Amino acid sequence: MKLKRIFTSLAVTALIAALAGCGSNNAASPSGAKAEGGQDAYPKKPIELIVPYAAGGGTDAVARAFADSANKVLPQSIGVVNKTGGGGAVGMSEGSKAKADGYKVTLITVEMTTLPPLGLATFKPEDFRPVARLNADPSAITVKADAPWNTIEEFLDYAKQNPEKVRIGNSGTGAIWHLAATALEQKIGTKFNHIPFDGANPAVTALLGGHIEAVSVSPAEVAAQVQAGQLKMLAVMADERLDSFKDVPTLKEKGIDLSIGTWRGIGVPKDTPDNVVTVLKDVAKKVTEDKSFTDVLQKMNLGVSYADDAAFKDAIQKDSELFAKLVTDLGLKK
Amino acid sequence: MEMLLSGLSNIATDPFALILSVVGVAVGIIVGALPGLTATMGVALILPMTFGMEPVAGLLLLSGVYFGGVYGGSITAILLKTPGTPAAAATAIDGYALAQKGLAGKALGAATLSSFTGGTISILILMFLSPVLANIALEFSAPETFALAVFGLSIIASISGKSLVKGLIAGMVGLLMATIGLDPILGFPRFTGGIEQILNGVPFIPIMIGLFAASEAFKSLSEMNAKEKVKVKIEKILPSWPEFRNLIPTILRSTGLGTFIGIIPGAGADIAAFVSYNEAKRFSKDKERFGKGEMKGVAACEAGANACTGGALVPLLTLGIPGDAVTAVMLGALMVQGLQPGPQLFSNNGDLVYTLFIGMIICYIIMCLMGLLASRYFAKVVEIPKQILTPIILVLCMVGSYAINNSFFDVVIMAAAGVVGYFMQKYDFPASPIVLALILGPMAEGQFRRSLALSSGSYDIFYTRPIPLVLLLLSAITLLTPIVKAFWQQRKTARR
Repeated sequence: MKLKRIFTSLAVTALIAALAGCGSNNAASPSGAKAEGGQDAYPKKPIELIVPYAAGGGTDAVARAFADSANKVLPQSIGVVNKTGGGGAVGMSEGSKAKADGYKVTLITVEMTTLPPLGLATFKPEDFRPVARLNADPSAITVKADAPWNTIEEFLDYAKQNPEKVRIGNSGTGAIWHLAATALEQKIGTKFNHIPFDGANPAVTALLGGHIEAVSVSPAEVAAQVQAGQLKMLAVMADERLDSFKDVPTLKEKGIDLSIGTWRGIGVPKDTPDNVVTVLKDVAKKVTEDKSFTDVLQKMNLGVSYADDAAFKDAIQKDSELFAKLVTDLGLKK
Repeated sequence: MEMLLSGLSNIATDPFALILSVVGVAVGIIVGALPGLTATMGVALILPMTFGMEPVAGLLLLSGVYFGGVYGGSITAILLKTPGTPAAAATAIDGYALAQKGLAGKALGAATLSSFTGGTISILILMFLSPVLANIALEFSAPETFALAVFGLSIIASISGKSLVKGLIAGMVGLLMATIGLDPILGFPRFTGGIEQILNGVPFIPIMIGLFAASEAFKSLSEMNAKEKVKVKIEKILPSWPEFRNLIPTILRSTGLGTFIGIIPGAGADIAAFVSYNEAKRFSKDKERFGKGEMKGVAACEAGANACTGGALVPLLTLGIPGDAVTAVMLGALMVQGLQPGPQLFSNNGDLVYTLFIGMIICYIIMCLMGLLASRYFAKVVEIPKQILTPIILVLCMVGSYAINNSFFDVVIMAAAGVVGYFMQKYDFPASPIVLALILGPMAEGQFRRSLALSSGSYDIFYTRPIPLVLLLLSAITLLTPIVKAFWQQRKTARR
């Protein structure tokens, strides 16, 4: 009886392992990378990609799609490991302290620049060496379809005349969408009533139910309801209009110089050698051009946005300064 | 109706989807039964595999994992007092007591049938009433959810076991622990001591595993040399018809409650299981038997938890808003398949949606058959000598608590909770109030303060809306009834 039980559990374990393995089975397919890597031939062993958020979320989806596509061009496989906790602080902190040999890379997100000024992280943005940006999504001002405002001007005029009356939902205090709404109120000189929710979805639900007036979350998070005609998007805080929402203006068009949003990319510890960064950067470029990667992102309404290490570093630098200032202005510094 | 028939024929002619449903349910049951691996995690891990599949096959695989995962938690909860999922913590109360009486087989059978009935009915509700029910989800804003959390907390009164005071103490400890971590509104870290791992609150599942499973393992270690209990043969898995008939009202009530709670955003199977348990006890004539091995306690939790599945899919499919963690992952799955959940889903992809519904019911039928067939063998676990079983449980506890966040920190938390749980058992403090408080404490606090933010600080928001008012009154009744009763009893005896 005992033996049977043990056998059953072994069989079960094997089944799970087999199933889990299926996800990354397309690893190590033949490619040119093997031949090119003459001198140091990085990578020589599988690479671990730390995702600071839970499996099943947007960041996780980007990471897994990246790993799947990268496995087509890399001689070694990339394995995704979710290290959750502290709103991303645990995973990114581990990634920043990893050995600088390129075998433990991190999927860095905009929280890399918001958590340190908030005093919620033991790492600094400078602890990472950015490799490449994969995705970026702006903040969008979205209201209910039957709201009295049809343009962003009408909405902002109302907000200016009625300070603290407009309840604007975000995904949590100090989270990127809260900072975006704060930056907007500073630019136009009014005050919103910021309502923090436990993530973007509950905020959108509250907006649908008419419990708040607007949300500042990303277009992806309101896309379904906007397409269904339940919500309307008034503006996006991007440099250019989005392909998926061509008729939604940017704030820049309306004379408000504000471009703010989330991004995701690949980062390595700051002392990582150049040859490693070059390999990873090339892989990232190929991935963002690979249809299977762009398809996954497009279907989830996430924007593909490649930037190489230098451009990515500049963008991070800019964000760090902006968020440090916003956090101080808001009095959120711990 | 035509849609249903074509859905049925679509499924019948798609053997691949059927095979994947079986695989999904099997994986789900295993994932659910293992402590630390929850239905959410199972679905999230299977998700990338479905990217390349046909929509029906891929989504049924995920549904199978989801349904099986919710049900599977009950197996280990009943047999080993090791709840595989938070919802099963409620099942463990009476399920484990039944197993110790030698009724493990029947408890498993009742759990399987209740899960099947609750789940299937909830899918039927999803099929026919989604558009009507979807708006309930939107009615529930912060004050409503706060009131629901308070109502949930009042359940501590009915799961306290022998001593109400000890139950309340345990609940308070849980609530105090729930204050650790980031302040839900202002984002300020509280009582974290600079430890990043508890910034988002004390990890809840390791505590649950520790309090229930590890503490039980420690207890049996200390009794290792005691004489083995008389073995009871497991003969029957299926409850007899009179026994099952007796459970039907409980199952139906719990199904209704579970579906409703599933629809509410932010409330999931765990809350449904505890609320169903509470209501089963409230409506029972023989309240004393709850906590000591009452079949209705098991049936209520399982029917409630599984009914949550259909309920949670209502706002997901009709409004595109996920009500809990599993459906948030399912949302991603739908979108990757090119299906945009929301009002147009039914009009644009009606054929596919009804095929899915039929497939989901088939998943539940598979789950029921698998559960009943396997229960006979599962139940044999209680015959394994403690010397072998106890180390296995401890290993499962460690692996399970590590697996949640890939963090050894969580294993330490689990072990600490296990030691605390051992002494709590010794001095008759119930563990489930702590679990309930850890689930509901953060929810109550966050929603309370969010309500005040919405109303710009006015408390009127709690009693000028109908739903919070009713729920808060119900909580007062639930909490005060045992106290008032005890008071009356005392007066009666005093007079004599």
